[in-house]
Amino acid sequence: MNVNESRPLGTWSLKGLKAAAVARITLRQQLAYKTDFIMRSTFLLLILFVFVQLWGAAYQGDTTKVIDGYTLKQIIWYLVFTEAITMAVPALCGIIENEVKNGDIAIRLIRPLSYVGYHYSSYMAEAIFRFFIHLAVGSVIAWTFAGPPTFGLGWAGLLALTLGAITIAFLLNMIVALCAFWVEETRGMEFVLHKLQFTVGGMLLPLDLMPEWLQRICAWMPFQAMLYFPARTAVNYGDVSVMKQFGIQAVWIVVLAAGVMMMYRRGVAKLHVNGG
Amino acid sequence: MSMADNVRTNEQKGHPSSWGLGTIKFVFTCWKVNLASAMEYRLSFFMLAGMMFINNFMWLFFWSLFFSRFQVVNGWDLSDVMMLWAIGAGGFGWANILFGNFNQIAPIVSGGQLDVYLSQPKPVLLNVLASRMSLTAVGDFLFSLTIYGWVGDHSLRGLLLFLASLLISGLLIMGVTLIAGCFSFYVGNSDGIARQVFNSFLALSTYPSDIFRGFAKALLFSIIPAGFISYLPIGLLRDFDAEFVLEAISVTVGFLAISIVFFHKGLKKYSSGNAITLRG
Repeated sequence: MNVNESRPLGTWSLKGLKAAAVARITLRQQLAYKTDFIMRSTFLLLILFVFVQLWGAAYQGDTTKVIDGYTLKQIIWYLVFTEAITMAVPALCGIIENEVKNGDIAIRLIRPLSYVGYHYSSYMAEAIFRFFIHLAVGSVIAWTFAGPPTFGLGWAGLLALTLGAITIAFLLNMIVALCAFWVEETRGMEFVLHKLQFTVGGMLLPLDLMPEWLQRICAWMPFQAMLYFPARTAVNYGDVSVMKQFGIQAVWIVVLAAGVMMMYRRGVAKLHVNGG
Repeated sequence: MSMADNVRTNEQKGHPSSWGLGTIKFVFTCWKVNLASAMEYRLSFFMLAGMMFINNFMWLFFWSLFFSRFQVVNGWDLSDVMMLWAIGAGGFGWANILFGNFNQIAPIVSGGQLDVYLSQPKPVLLNVLASRMSLTAVGDFLFSLTIYGWVGDHSLRGLLLFLASLLISGLLIMGVTLIAGCFSFYVGNSDGIARQVFNSFLALSTYPSDIFRGFAKALLFSIIPAGFISYLPIGLLRDFDAEFVLEAISVTVGFLAISIVFFHKGLKKYSSGNAITLRG
């Protein structure tokens, strides 16, 4: 076998192995902090319980009423899905901001591993793990108060669209995090990003229940692809084609990934790390 | 003998009037210094305060969307929920501006950082509480005033009732949070639990209490007294309910008293962290 021929495959498989190793380490770290997890999960239970009460009041306890395509049961499960995705996303901005501020980034950059790739592997492992845990915890509340999740193909839609959703969340957070190369303090921007997910991303209120003018604005933003798509598809499978939503997610992934790479290259070029 | 020495001697003798005057002066000095140090980093101060101001508005944006779809939820409308946020954020705001350490008791105790307060001839709890000012809380307080200006009752009676609601809300948040923080004296590091209690209590205080029913409602008006804050826009501001107001005041005073006793009992169990700590 010619060495040159085997090289591209070798590089890719090596990259895959590295990414898998990073993901494995992240998972082990997650398993080490059980108390933190239990704390977060109990908070999720509380918040979902409050939402069950709030929506129960809004629907006046009528489980058959359909408002803008949603029954009470669908709304409650919708909230479980959006909360599970939201709470799955690790605090990337804080990590990268600290690496840039205290110079730890210098250590990461000399490793034979792509910087953004490293964070993506670690992020995905943590996010997927957290998603399933929070999904399980949230299901306890929804199942108790709204009944079993009989969504059929909706489950497949949820799982498939969640991968794209958390990738978009990674890219959005990474864009904000990479601002640390220029502004050092990214918490303010991270906060604005979270609030956008929270409102125009449809975290608390499905976009279908929003006023028409706002729905039109939301359609042009990446936030709906992060929370609304997977949750809506889960509870109302078939309303909009999954392929179309995949397509929108893919376009956003390409656009945002290009943004991330551009910012990363420019940021690293102007980076100065003093001392050691 | 200097004035400070006088105050100290009087404190040791337990002279009530001088103790009170000296303490008040001391607390005012703390607030002045806290403000001065916040103003040292003006940009950061305005960014943080502004951020919290926006945060609260984003919540109101959610509520406005919610109420545009469902006009009334169990008797509450948008302006009631706006006043609820004004009371919650305002109470939390003033408490956190003036006594910013009230939600930091657990890490202070478990980190052995009480030594610095114990070595000073001032009331320990008051000294700890007044030694920090939260910058984001300024945003909360300004938000509260803005909402009051927007949808509140601007008559003298309305203003006084609003101020009373801020007082009840702030003191109750402080009492509950202090009790949770004081667990650190008894069980070691309870930082996580204290934070959880604090976050949960705040979250529960910002939803209309009438969405809850049965056992959950009973809990909100007993062990987790968040209901006494979230019902203020109705029970105090909209339809003055003397019985509710009396209960709210009693519960607030009760929780605050328990927290003070709990702190001082816990103080006897406190062991120094043997760490040299300076307050910056």
